[in-house]
Amino acid sequence: MIKFKNVTKIYCSVNSEQITALENVSFDIQPKEFVSIVGKSGAGKTTLIKLLMGEEKLTSGEIFFDGINVSKIKPKELQELRRRIGVVFQDYKLLPTKTVYENVSYVMQVIGTSDIDIKRDIPQVLEMVGLDQRAFNFPCELSGGEQQRLAIARALIHRPEVIIADEPTGNLDVYNTFEIVNLLKKIHNFGTTIILATHDKTIVDSLKKRVIALNEGKLIRDDHNGNFIF
Amino acid sequence: MFSNFITNLKRIIFFGWQSLSRNKGLSFGVIFIMSVAVLLITSLFLFQGFSEFLISEAQKKVDISVYFKKNITPEKIFAVESDLRQTFPKVENIEYISQEKALEIFKEKHKDDTLYLDALKEVGDNPFLASLNIKTNDPNIYSQISNFLGREPTEDLIEKVSYYQNKKVIDKLFSFTNNMKKGGIVLSVILALLIALITFNTVKLTIGSFKEEISTMRLVGASNWFIRGPFLIQGLLYGIISVLIVDIVLFSVLYFLNPKLGNWFLDFNLLNYFKTNFFLLVSVQFIFSVILGVFSSFIAVHRYLKI
Repeated sequence: MIKFKNVTKIYCSVNSEQITALENVSFDIQPKEFVSIVGKSGAGKTTLIKLLMGEEKLTSGEIFFDGINVSKIKPKELQELRRRIGVVFQDYKLLPTKTVYENVSYVMQVIGTSDIDIKRDIPQVLEMVGLDQRAFNFPCELSGGEQQRLAIARALIHRPEVIIADEPTGNLDVYNTFEIVNLLKKIHNFGTTIILATHDKTIVDSLKKRVIALNEGKLIRDDHNGNFIF
Repeated sequence: MFSNFITNLKRIIFFGWQSLSRNKGLSFGVIFIMSVAVLLITSLFLFQGFSEFLISEAQKKVDISVYFKKNITPEKIFAVESDLRQTFPKVENIEYISQEKALEIFKEKHKDDTLYLDALKEVGDNPFLASLNIKTNDPNIYSQISNFLGREPTEDLIEKVSYYQNKKVIDKLFSFTNNMKKGGIVLSVILALLIALITFNTVKLTIGSFKEEISTMRLVGASNWFIRGPFLIQGLLYGIISVLIVDIVLFSVLYFLNPKLGNWFLDFNLLNYFKTNFFLLVSVQFIFSVILGVFSSFIAVHRYLKI
């Protein structure tokens, strides 16, 4: 379903210094898999996600999503591809001037879902993430955990084939962390592919799923039933 | 397909209105600047009307008088008048003033001034000459009329033509009014550009504060038009609201202050001019503000649609 083939990404700093974020990384992800991408901060996890989302351009190599070469995609096709992926961003990236309900409905409106379907689906998803009582609050009125759950609701509302979660528990306490992880497990059980980027050992060890480990931009381990080991 | 388009359009319009009403502080700032811009454009429009009024008033004061010799009969003078009307269709009015009427006018004008009336008695006979007073819409033909009158056989009938005496003043006046027209246009264009630039930058800064939101919208798969649309609607609404504010305020000010303003503007009726040219003025305001609002929004959003 997703294929990274010899992917390299080099950033140029202001003083023309080259920083290698990813170096010759290759791996495949199959449909309905739950993959954790682990590594220290700066290992290249977020870059990997940005490349898959077309947010950044590759230096060399290729990335395929369902046979589509992401590195050569046209802008219009890129937007269509993004609608097939739900992303939970590390910094939530919620729309601050829209309410909880509107943040979630925006994604459905983007793909042209009818108002009737929107009214039917959103209360269910908000209930699933425990935000049904917060539907008409603005993001700034929510706690960190609630904001993260809203980001998850937004990522899954349009039933994407893949959900990518970039450090979804980075800013949360232990209770909220496990709530989020359980939510991701639940979504995975519905048949959605999950890619979880994290540096939280406890989460990865508890999942007992495939683990891809990155270190200084290089893939150092791909363990199909792994633990957080360097 | 069409129903999808309508659904998206409805959503875009709604988002535009929602963003405007929720970001009250930012909207107030942009509407304020845009209202100032519309007010300045309106002032330029009214100034144009006022300067045209001044020019036309000045032109009304200019005429050319042809004084005929004492022995010339009214028939010959009427023949000259008829020739002038045929040769110069742009002549607005030719008034015949007989010797008697000229005397009457003099007496009426100086009825309280015994010195003039005594002097007239001293002269005894009617010293005034019969004349034709010529006015035209086009000041440039005064010199042509003057040349025409200087030719045979008309020349022999004429004692003097006032144009030569007033030529310097007339030429100066027309050169001044021409310069005023040209200067007004140049000034208006410069001011309009300046205002447009200030408004554009205000809109750009406002949309700049939505940079993060725009990038999020891109990342959740929104098309460029779905993102751009609400900002264009907002630009359109800024324009419409600014025009409404300016017109309501201006109408109220003119309505209540018009009698006092008459003294300042040399009897030019601003309220009347505003009412007479209302549809033209509103069209100019709308075209200016809507183009400015929508165009500024388009350019500003375009920068952030590359993620």
